[in-house]
Amino acid sequence: MSEPVLRVVDVWKSYEDLEVLKGISFELAEKEVKVIFGPSGSGKSTLLRCINMLNPPDKGEVYLRGQSFMEPGINLNAMRARIGMVFQHFNLFTHLKALDNVSIGLRRVKGLSKVTAREKAFEALNSVKMAEWADHYPAQLSGGQQQRVGIARALVMEPDVILFDEPTSALDPELIGEVLQVMLNIAKSGTTMIVVTHELGFARAVASEMIFIGEGVILETGTPQHFFTSPKSERAKTFLNQLDILYGGHDKLLKISDKEEDK
Amino acid sequence: MIFQVNPILEFFSILKYWDRLLSGFLLTMWMYVLALMMGFCIGLILSVLRQYGGIILSRISTLYIEIIRGTPLLAQLFFIFFLPNALNITPEIPIFETSFRILDKDISLKLMDYPIFIGIITLGLNSAAYQAEYFRGAIISVGTGQLEAAQSLGMSRMSGIKNIVLPQALRRVIPAWSNEAAYLPKYTVLVYFIGGVEEIFYQADIIAHRTFFILTTYVVIAIIFLVTITIISRGLDILHKRTMIPGL
Repeated sequence: MSEPVLRVVDVWKSYEDLEVLKGISFELAEKEVKVIFGPSGSGKSTLLRCINMLNPPDKGEVYLRGQSFMEPGINLNAMRARIGMVFQHFNLFTHLKALDNVSIGLRRVKGLSKVTAREKAFEALNSVKMAEWADHYPAQLSGGQQQRVGIARALVMEPDVILFDEPTSALDPELIGEVLQVMLNIAKSGTTMIVVTHELGFARAVASEMIFIGEGVILETGTPQHFFTSPKSERAKTFLNQLDILYGGHDKLLKISDKEEDK
Repeated sequence: MIFQVNPILEFFSILKYWDRLLSGFLLTMWMYVLALMMGFCIGLILSVLRQYGGIILSRISTLYIEIIRGTPLLAQLFFIFFLPNALNITPEIPIFETSFRILDKDISLKLMDYPIFIGIITLGLNSAAYQAEYFRGAIISVGTGQLEAAQSLGMSRMSGIKNIVLPQALRRVIPAWSNEAAYLPKYTVLVYFIGGVEEIFYQADIIAHRTFFILTTYVVIAIIFLVTITIISRGLDILHKRTMIPGL
């Protein structure tokens, strides 16, 4: 088996007295889509923020293609450029047009010229179906449109992996579909992703593995099939039940071909 | 009776000294603009240090801001004015003087010498502390999410602050900052007290003594300030509207 893109080894994190992560480990292979889910407060977002060192872990190791993030003297900025992140609240740069939101990373981090950066950014916006909104400012866009720009902003940097931190949970229900569809498309085109989400339909369609986190530890892992048919732990069972009752899933919003439905 | 003769007549006899009013006004505005710009630059640095500078730098910045805001400007003026002398230093400030002729009057204007220099420096250092707090408020209002997004793209914290946070903070700060822009012209008159600076209150004092229309003289001065500050406020209002981010 080839080297994993990302390797998380025994990551611990606490905020003052509160232990949020208590030893999380997993590996992410090339083109893999991993879905992380679990009750709120279980440490899902913290885990993502530990991976790209927005909140460095207290203990443990994170390796990106074999290179440790925790090594002293490492250029964190250069490492972060290789990990994309899509935020729950989009976090678009409000003073920049959609196009500039996407191109600024190319210009400031990759040093591309303004013209090349804009061309690439336009392509990325096109891939999330936002090309015609390129000249709009974030505040002029709907939540779903903003999140698609957020995805394009991460995508355009051609990172090794993209982290999605509950990308649809701040959206109005009718806007969730368009974002999930875009995520589905980029997942199918071979993007390596870690997605924290409760969208079970999305998980079923593309996740190669699902990780169920509770109280800072991995409680159960398995394929979507495993979780939807026979989750082992009681905790996962009750949680999945609640999700199903509360959200009912957005499966119908997604255009999933029959073949994938059977997966 | 407040007015000695007739307010209209008094008003016109004071306006005969328009050359003095003009040169005093120009000097006051000159000190004001330089101090405001100096305060802007130092204030911006102070606010960034206080917000992002880590424990030591942020404490130093906070200490500076608190000392400046906690002591009278006049005391600061005297302190800085007499400091070189107390340290046995003789600062050599080049004197810059200019003169021009408008209508029948020769107007000479001294724009730089030791007291003027001290005035500008002190006002600038003082204004920096107040401006820093306006900037900090605006920086906080931008929030942390966008800086994190910038960092997640691989931008350094510094680059994120410069390219993402500050462009927004500087737009947001304008309404609050206009306070400082409107206060500072009036603080500038304190330079009068260190003596030898021929700014607008110095000229007013001379006009008042020559005409003996003391009240009217200061009414004229007040009107000059009122008009100036109204123009500054309007200008900043327009700037605020022009730089507004569409959709916000």
